Amino acid sequence: MKHSSFAIFASVALLMICGLFIFAGCGKAKSAAIEKYGSDRLKLYLPGAYMSDSLIPNFEKQYGVKVIVEYFDSNEMMYAKVQAGDKYDVLIPSDYMIERLLSQKMLQPLDKNALTNIKELSPAVMNLKYDPNNTYSIPYFWGNVGIVYNTKKVDPKVVEEQGYSIFQNPDYAGRIYWYDSERDSFMIALKVLGYSMNTENKDEINKAYEWLLKMNDTMNPAYVTDEVIDAMTTGKQKDIAIVYSGDAATVLKENKDMSYFAPNEGTNVWYDAMVIPANAQAPKLANEFINYVMTYDVSLENTKAVGYASPNDKVLKEMSAPDGLFGQNKAYLPRSGYDKDEIFHDNEVIRSMISELWIKVKAHKAN
Amino acid sequence: MKLKINPFFFMTGPYLIWITAMIVIPMLLIVLYAFTIEGNDVATIQFSLDNFVRFVTDKTFLFVVGKSLWIAFLTTIICIILGYPIAYIISKSRGRQSLILILLLTLPTWINMLVRTYAWMGILQEGGVLSNLLEMIGIPGVSLLYTDFAVALGMVYNFLPFMVLQIHTSLAKMDNSLLEAASDLGANKVQSFLRVTLPLSMPGVVSGITLVFLPAVSSFFIPKLLGGGQYVLVGNVIENQFITAGKWNFGSAISLIMAIIIIFSMWLTRKIEVQPRKEEN
Amino acid sequence: MHKPNRIWNIFSKTMIGFSLLFFYLPIVYIIVFSFNGKRSLSELDGFSLQWYEKMFADPIMMDSVVVTILIAVLATIISTLLGTITAIGLSKCGKSFRNAVERVNELPVMNPDIVTGISLLMLFSALAVSKGFVTMLLAHIMFCTPFVILSIMPKLRTLDPNLTDAALDLGCTPFQAMFKVIVPQIRPAIFTGALIAFTMSFDDFVISYFVTGDGVQNISILVYTMSKRVDPSINALSTLVILIITVALLIVNIVPHFLHRKKTPLETK
Repeated sequence: MKHSSFAIFASVALLMICGLFIFAGCGKAKSAAIEKYGSDRLKLYLPGAYMSDSLIPNFEKQYGVKVIVEYFDSNEMMYAKVQAGDKYDVLIPSDYMIERLLSQKMLQPLDKNALTNIKELSPAVMNLKYDPNNTYSIPYFWGNVGIVYNTKKVDPKVVEEQGYSIFQNPDYAGRIYWYDSERDSFMIALKVLGYSMNTENKDEINKAYEWLLKMNDTMNPAYVTDEVIDAMTTGKQKDIAIVYSGDAATVLKENKDMSYFAPNEGTNVWYDAMVIPANAQAPKLANEFINYVMTYDVSLENTKAVGYASPNDKVLKEMSAPDGLFGQNKAYLPRSGYDKDEIFHDNEVIRSMISELWIKVKAHKAN
Repeated sequence: MKLKINPFFFMTGPYLIWITAMIVIPMLLIVLYAFTIEGNDVATIQFSLDNFVRFVTDKTFLFVVGKSLWIAFLTTIICIILGYPIAYIISKSRGRQSLILILLLTLPTWINMLVRTYAWMGILQEGGVLSNLLEMIGIPGVSLLYTDFAVALGMVYNFLPFMVLQIHTSLAKMDNSLLEAASDLGANKVQSFLRVTLPLSMPGVVSGITLVFLPAVSSFFIPKLLGGGQYVLVGNVIENQFITAGKWNFGSAISLIMAIIIIFSMWLTRKIEVQPRKEEN
Repeated sequence: MHKPNRIWNIFSKTMIGFSLLFFYLPIVYIIVFSFNGKRSLSELDGFSLQWYEKMFADPIMMDSVVVTILIAVLATIISTLLGTITAIGLSKCGKSFRNAVERVNELPVMNPDIVTGISLLMLFSALAVSKGFVTMLLAHIMFCTPFVILSIMPKLRTLDPNLTDAALDLGCTPFQAMFKVIVPQIRPAIFTGALIAFTMSFDDFVISYFVTGDGVQNISILVYTMSKRVDPSINALSTLVILIITVALLIVNIVPHFLHRKKTPLETK
């Protein structure tokens, strides 16, 4: 008896201590921020390793607020949590996910009066189909999908000539990393075959499935996700990989043997943007935060730290100028105005169809 | 005992309430999803076996389940083969020494599983620690990453401590007088091991199997990182259905099928365990 | 055993040697790369403490250590207590009742984590509980307790029921019988169960991810979401964790053990 009551006592005591811990961190009221923005707590939900380390501490200091950050490792995981009713003030999803959130009425319009820095953004990232007047979203980073290859092992001419077809070139069997994402995989297969990556034609999707099966069966690819960044940076492993341009910029910066190419067949251009969910608790502060991120200084610091292309016009121009930090980096500035490049649309039927087909491609190997 | 209410029954009370709230109700939600199709709401609910039909008529899913069971089975067998001697040796060492060995064995499990798996990636990959070592002794260009070996290694690495702990528990408190009696009766060491120690440690082996086999069947980070994305196991399919495809109904159905297969295999394991013990008595 | 024979000695030493090598190879690797001069987990380039500086400068990383250890300790204490009481109670109940509870108890063990995670997410959302530290703790107790019960049940089956009955006949309450008679006999199993519960809680990502909120995150959540870029400060964090745990274990376990052992003669086989 003694033992159990002691243990219960101990656990209750511990519970109270940790309760104190949690509250001590965020309990102090800062009335100035509450008066001005209605809240002094901002909850942010964004992909991991996607923001410079100094951004949040600086924002907190300047506005006298507390920012709570949570990370997700895929748009879909974020969606599952937000849909289940978790409350955040700012999310940073991708274009197609913004489309889906909008169709579910899960976002609220931004306060354009508060977004005074919107004029600093590059016209290349504004007024896109997923949110035509930027009513709901402000771009955060953007880029495309392309091929990173080791110039010591692979002739640039071959890559530029063959584009995505190089992933069926038997010379490189066993030497390739394939990005393990159904959206990107089907995008590539559809582009190789000359179709739109947003096709709703089931025959075209089935042909793309056949193409992926052949790639899977003949090329012995390693299906990876973000491990590819380190693997290509060391350069000692495989020679060709599918990589997002922002990550490719990091690889190229650290390993001069690596090069990047966005194939002529066209590719996916994507935009990750800041949005405010409909159930946000501090929308006023959220607008203020979005406005803060758009400023020149913050954008500059952010793009330098993360390596993805900035939506801020001035920053983008400086970074990609010949003497800029990423001026000689082939991966930094996404190609724009190329008519074969496309943005993803969210289509529920196609989404679940390719999701299932992709599992079948990967599981096919051991058959 | 039959007539009055068993006082020990009350001791299970708190847990009964707990599992009803935290296990049974959430599980019923899964069952509900499994037997309905998408887009149903409470008012127009319609039960259907579509999800299950889809599962059994698709070769890919059956193959994936088979592969998951096979890998988990292999992991379990290797864990028994390696874990039993280790546990036996530990149980035969002196008190202080065996405590230290147990702690040494469990210490690595307190480093995050993903971090440990990443470490194995660094060790196994081309240009990694192991391939450099092999190169030094004249075997160049070995890459063990993204092979069956890597997956099995990662699984065994993660689950072996559980097997050792379970077997050790059942060996540690074994009554030594039984062994003495056996040797007095003329049994040699091998005989007394086979006739006394082994049967008495079987409950430990069985709960070890439970702790290795069950998580191994549904694990998906280890195969994904060490085997590459092509290593599709049932855990990956379920994750994919719930997260990427957003098909909670089908995902629930697969989970339910897995649960049934697992309950069946555990029931089988216990049956096999119970039989020889009866003979022994 | 009685007469230690040579071959057995050599065999056991090699076996233990190899298994320790196997278990500690990645650990050594993690520690070595935490001092790496550059941002890589495959190439070493000089010695530096930059990843430790980065870790200590990052409040999110330090918070995650606190959360992980708090949750693991609390979940282990509560689930060991709950699991022990339940297992003992169950062992004295009817077979069909016991079997039914045991089957339900195994559900969280064999359900893929993602399913458990989503089902709890649905539960907490339905109840409109705001997610954070408490929901994460509840979830951890939920998946740790079955492991404790699983560890203890086999041991209980081998106990002599007459002892407990005798204690009850002599006027013990069931609780007294439990602590005076049963618990001492199953102590190693309880210890094993607690150890497994702690490990499970310490390592969990998927379930924690779905039931947490309000910025509360454990080391696993941090690692999974930070793993996009190789970040050796994760190695520094792991090295720190292993250091904390080793020290804690030394203090809690070995020191009193040694002090105690000096007074009583060593156990011999």
